[in-house]
Amino acid sequence: MVYSSLLLKKYHGGHVVIRFALAGHKQANRPFYRIVAAYNKRARDGKYIEQLGSYDPLPNIYNEKLVSFNFDRIKYWIGCGAHPTKPVAKLLGLSGFFPLHPMTITEAERRGAQMETETETEESPKEGQKQADVES
Amino acid sequence: MWAGVNKLQGRNSLNLIMLTLSDVEISNTGRRQDNKAEATQAEPGSTSMTVSFAATDHAKPQFTDSAVQDILTRITGLDLQKVYRPIKQELKPPTYKLMTDEQLEQAVELAKERAKKLLQMPPVLQERKPISDVLCEDKILDGMDTAKYAFTDITYNIPHRERFIVVREPNGILRKATWEERDRLIQVYFPKEGRKLTAPLLFKEENLKLVFSQDRHEDVLDLCLVQFEPDSSEYIKVHTATYEDLDKHGKYDLLRSTRHFGGMAWYLVSVRRVDGLIVDMLKRELLQDAVSLVSLFHMVHPHSESAREAASQQATGTDLLKIYAQRDSQRSGYIELALQAYEQTAVEGSAS
Repeated sequence: MVYSSLLLKKYHGGHVVIRFALAGHKQANRPFYRIVAAYNKRARDGKYIEQLGSYDPLPNIYNEKLVSFNFDRIKYWIGCGAHPTKPVAKLLGLSGFFPLHPMTITEAERRGAQMETETETEESPKEGQKQADVES
Repeated sequence: MWAGVNKLQGRNSLNLIMLTLSDVEISNTGRRQDNKAEATQAEPGSTSMTVSFAATDHAKPQFTDSAVQDILTRITGLDLQKVYRPIKQELKPPTYKLMTDEQLEQAVELAKERAKKLLQMPPVLQERKPISDVLCEDKILDGMDTAKYAFTDITYNIPHRERFIVVREPNGILRKATWEERDRLIQVYFPKEGRKLTAPLLFKEENLKLVFSQDRHEDVLDLCLVQFEPDSSEYIKVHTATYEDLDKHGKYDLLRSTRHFGGMAWYLVSVRRVDGLIVDMLKRELLQDAVSLVSLFHMVHPHSESAREAASQQATGTDLLKIYAQRDSQRSGYIELALQAYEQTAVEGSAS
């Protein structure tokens, strides 16, 4: 069972999480997430306790993905016993507030391995073509 | 929590965005204003941003010194008609009040106080140094993503200068954001009225030339003040361009009795090209202003010939102007002519 601290024993019975909630659902194909402290059992986009930030997954004209965190309030909620979810923990790790999430490192390694196999498969048909050109 | 972050050093001394004259007076008690050879010590609680030049034994008087501010406010003047000229605002039917003479005088006094507040000079600061702090290098994350992540701290009650804004590059480096990124992101999350995310195209050089030909320097400076931070390079560039253009065409009267006159005077004094301004003042018969301007010049450049001679002779008034005209100015002929004309009118006035 998830540990819920004594400070959050109100009526709900569930625990508080810090997670993404999708905002602006009236626009198709344009995601925008709010980083939110909400009860566990609530709907993803439903009523939350407090908004702690935002995350825009699509990069802007300067090739930046804008993330905002209200660190003061995040510290408060973590102190009250809220649990961050995996993507929130990854973002906090990337920002430097938390240590780097192990899945971030694993994904980076996996992507690196994939890039290597791609370059190998690119090189071998290219080498085959070059040999064919030389012979002909 | 912040892996390897050093608190930005000396940030407390950079916390001034808008100077008020009261702040100036508080911070300048004990700061010497004349040019005797004394080394100044930097007060730990001081709010001044500029660093004293250590080239000579005595530091230059800064823009924030109360003596300098006094002179600049006196030169700026207080033309109520120009300060309260009609501007574009919400249209309302006019209100009429029936007042006695005393009430009218009181209303005028109140208007003068408000006008003095409106004519507060924006700060003149040195250009800010670029930030290049790397917090963390994670080579493992290289090639993780194609885009950068820009993290902003949204805590409400920290000053914008102390906010943590951090960028994680695709090659895994976690660095502090540059000044331009900082300004842009702070405008995104804490929008300031009148400021745009991308600078208006007005501030490009070709457009500036057009606007200057239409005599709208004041609007340009107001827009610049709203859009840029006072120590950003664009702010300083736009201001220098405006002041140069004003100096070239001699259109000093456009800025007189606005908040930008002090900044212009300070810039001209620092670059030592006060002649045009003195000539303009003499044309409009503002002798006291010309005298105070020359005394400001001597305060800022104590090693110039005219300053040394004036100090040796203890000259005041028109004698100061004569010394300055003989020694340091390029348009000495005009200044001397104007002085003679002024003396003649003074003699005629006293004779008749």
